[in-house]
Amino acid sequence: MSMLELRHVSKKYGQGANEVDAITDIDLAVERGSLVAIMGPSGSGKSTLLTIAGSLEEPTAGDVMIDGASLSGMSRNEKARLRRRSIGYVFQDFNLLKGLTAVENVSLPLELDGISMKKARAQGMAALEGLGLTDRADRFPDELSGGERQRVAIARAVVGERSLLLADEPSGALDSVNGESVMRMILAACHGGVAAVVVTHDAKLASWADRVVFLRDGKAVDETLPPPSPEALLESDVANPS
Amino acid sequence: MTMDDVSLRAGRRTPGGGIPARRAVTRWAWRLFRSEWRQQFLILALITVAVAATILGSTVAVNNPPPKNAGFGTAQDSVSFASYNQQTQSVIAKIKNLGTVQVIENETYSIPGSINTYQLRSQAAHGPYGSPMLSLVSGHFPANANEVAVTHGVAGAFGLSVGQTWRVGGVERQVVGIVENPQSLLEEFALVVPGQVPNPAQVTALFDAPSGSLHSLGKGVQVNTPASVAQSNPLNPETISLAALVLGMLMIALVSIGGFTVLAQRRMRSIGMLESIGATDRHVRLVVSANGTVVGVVGAILGFVIGFAGWLAYRPSFEQSAHHVVGMFALPWIVVFAAMVLAVVAAYFASSRPARAVTRIPIVAALSGRPAPPRQIHRSAVPGIVIIAAAFLLLGYAGGTGGGDGNGGTPELLLGLVLLMPGLILLAPFLLSLTERVGRRAPIATRLALRDLARFRARSGSALAAISIGVLVAVIVVLASASRFSNVLDYAGPNLASNQLALHTAYAPRGSVIVHRNAKGQLVQQNVKVESATPAELAAGAAQIARGLGTQLIALKSPNANLSGTQGGRSWSGQIYVATPQLLRAFGIKASQIDPNADVLTSRPGLSGVSGLHMDFGGNGQKQGPGQNSSGGSDQHPVIQEISALPAGTSAPNTVITEYAMKKYHISAGTSDWLIVGSQTFAASQISNAQLTASTAQLSVESRNDIPSGSTIINYATLFGIIIALGVLAMSVGLVRSETSSDLRTLAATGASSYTRRALTAVTAGALGFLGALLGVGGGYIAMIGWLRSNSLNGGISALANIPIGDLMLILFGMPAIAAIVGWLFASREPAVMGRQPIE
Repeated sequence: MSMLELRHVSKKYGQGANEVDAITDIDLAVERGSLVAIMGPSGSGKSTLLTIAGSLEEPTAGDVMIDGASLSGMSRNEKARLRRRSIGYVFQDFNLLKGLTAVENVSLPLELDGISMKKARAQGMAALEGLGLTDRADRFPDELSGGERQRVAIARAVVGERSLLLADEPSGALDSVNGESVMRMILAACHGGVAAVVVTHDAKLASWADRVVFLRDGKAVDETLPPPSPEALLESDVANPS
Repeated sequence: MTMDDVSLRAGRRTPGGGIPARRAVTRWAWRLFRSEWRQQFLILALITVAVAATILGSTVAVNNPPPKNAGFGTAQDSVSFASYNQQTQSVIAKIKNLGTVQVIENETYSIPGSINTYQLRSQAAHGPYGSPMLSLVSGHFPANANEVAVTHGVAGAFGLSVGQTWRVGGVERQVVGIVENPQSLLEEFALVVPGQVPNPAQVTALFDAPSGSLHSLGKGVQVNTPASVAQSNPLNPETISLAALVLGMLMIALVSIGGFTVLAQRRMRSIGMLESIGATDRHVRLVVSANGTVVGVVGAILGFVIGFAGWLAYRPSFEQSAHHVVGMFALPWIVVFAAMVLAVVAAYFASSRPARAVTRIPIVAALSGRPAPPRQIHRSAVPGIVIIAAAFLLLGYAGGTGGGDGNGGTPELLLGLVLLMPGLILLAPFLLSLTERVGRRAPIATRLALRDLARFRARSGSALAAISIGVLVAVIVVLASASRFSNVLDYAGPNLASNQLALHTAYAPRGSVIVHRNAKGQLVQQNVKVESATPAELAAGAAQIARGLGTQLIALKSPNANLSGTQGGRSWSGQIYVATPQLLRAFGIKASQIDPNADVLTSRPGLSGVSGLHMDFGGNGQKQGPGQNSSGGSDQHPVIQEISALPAGTSAPNTVITEYAMKKYHISAGTSDWLIVGSQTFAASQISNAQLTASTAQLSVESRNDIPSGSTIINYATLFGIIIALGVLAMSVGLVRSETSSDLRTLAATGASSYTRRALTAVTAGALGFLGALLGVGGGYIAMIGWLRSNSLNGGISALANIPIGDLMLILFGMPAIAAIVGWLFASREPAVMGRQPIE
């Protein structure tokens, strides 16, 4: 059973003459442990696809299944619970709450889910430790670098028993070194059994994925097979620095 | 996987996150408040000031009257008698059968040279009940018949100090102490031991009656208890304070709604982030409402601290003016508690609406920080009109109770006034919509400003309602004062100007004791048999006082005539004097200014137009004039001329009868009063010296009292309304304009100058101010017309004929003009955030 499955999903914005098709009839299945990259030009519907997959938006047509459960019949609160427990979201601009420290940001989904502050913090610290941010746990987002913020965001997205990681241009605001570092972490999460969908403009980062889906004008126009391994790509970059 | 699977995996977690989730969200709200308190400063300041003012004001109001047990000490019952006779003795004997009794006797004596009196009081200093009514300031309490203790006032009036001897109550006594009644510092008395008051004029028995035993005292004995005294005044200060508090908090809530809405909008991205990681609608609402609650709690605590500190600082002065000692913690704790709770509730309520609104924003829209489209709110005027009509009817019913004097309709009056407010709140959006239509052909800046006010009615409507309620309160006070003070027959206001003193003939002081200065300037008492002074002696005394003050003395002749008539349920009141050449000259009135046919000259505005006013005069046993018989007569249509140069005080010669009328009706007159007019305000020492001199001449001195004039009350009320309106505008205009900051950016990009930006802000402020003033003034008139239309005591609707035009114009046009000017000036200093959409 796929962790994420989109069945004939379409999304329209506006009404009447102003109606715009953001995505049309998209089918997508992401298995546990696999990483899927979504690529396409601006306005092709990449982010819309991700927000619908993450239950942040409702499709106009079609259905979204998360671990076999259909989103269409869920209430707002049930979707919120799903986001707390199953879906981790990573944004381009980190979206950390600036009033909370790094560890509080990470443990927030757990606390919102009813886990005591002490236990949530322990799990949050464990997640940060896994990403090498233990010494930054009590810093506020303003006191962290861009790379550190995105690592915190990833820690927040994978903390608990999340099984689906959705990342919208996770390296968009980072330099290439930090960008690759972030991708490595996402890949590591996938190796731990998490299904991940990453929206990116960067073909090099997309090559890390098991599969790349190309969108144009809201439609899936192409899909690649698993590319060479990232390590092989890195080696080729070193050999050809241009 | 189903949701049940998810729940099972989550173990015992509660669906909504339970306490841990609420704690986490509240912690974040608290952090946000700490880091962004400046953005909430105005709301916080408003709540703080309101709570502090309520605490200080209600403490002053509640403690201003004497304490509830004033006059009772520790006793639960008291019986008072107007004299000491056999019946008094009989009742006191019966009371003694019920248990312990303490009897306090008083005899009233005049303070020579003053219209004030003091009591010779016999009271056991350490009696069973009266201890709270006696406090020793210095020295000791009298222990025998030859000792007396006096209050500061008596000591000052008679120049006494501890150790001196003083003849009082027919006995030479030594002053052994300075005392006071802590429950009534106004009381001036000389304390002697029981049994030392020769002719008690008031006898009070304090006792604790066993349950059901009062019938044994017999019929006709009026037993008072502290509770029965308190119940005689249903509108106690605590009730008034609570009513004012509710009104104030309603206004704060209205203003705060706008503030919290903008705050929620600024945090839209953060809220989107929270939702994206699984926060429910309840969590999101909690973020905003927890922030509101935090603001309310902090405001309430700060308000309490400031209010209490203000009370501690003001308490010494207050005790002097309230005339009784007040404890440091004698706060009306119910009001204090209610104020703090209401502050939190108002802030919570104000933040709840934006909290609900923010959950309706799609998560993706919230994450993008796009502002929500303006929320269209009900624009129909019908609900507002219906509620205002109901208020109008209730006020009319209240005004017509008690046979047309308005007594007995308090609940309807309060309900009517309270109903007016939701009526105005509901009318506010309609008025904004109407204004937008009116402004469709106006220049671009005006058109855009008015359109934005209408588009964002959820915000501007609440601000408009708050302004109108502030103005409403002010206008009701203005109109009520104008109608009351405009009644020229039942003349109200201060008695004299501050540079005037009135001298009245006084009775010879009881006790045959007078005080005067000897050749060395020392105060000495003289025990003499005092005869009534002759007119010549009185005039000489008055002249001596005037000379001492270096001022002009005007003899006031009282004719055996007076005016009578009724207007608006009120009858003529006041003394009339004769328009002697000296009096006219003193006020710069020339003979040529006087109508030769005028019978009466007056400074009371509108008196000449009162119909049915007639002049009654008594016969003098001599020649009879027109309309006069042997026992006097009446002029049904006296010719009254208004001359504003005459003084206006209620005790001053504001209405005088002309010598022409005196001759026409053969009215006689005699001098019993004098008026002293100085070039500047009299100092307390001058008044004291005048009283001292008056005491030797059987005269009493009347100086300006504390009663405010109608114009003073009206001006202060106007100022109050304007300040409230401008305060609300200061808070709300920025909020309203910040919602359209993207429009401003677009305008700038299309080449709009700073003039346009200034004009936008100025028109927003001016229009909001004007509409608020219009609603408030309209509401005020509706309230007053409703109340007066069936209230004959207060003159009916005609009492509103005297329109305080200047003050109303100031509210209607001055306040909006000030708001517009300030808006214009400050528009150039708009923060950078105005130029872009705030992110968080």
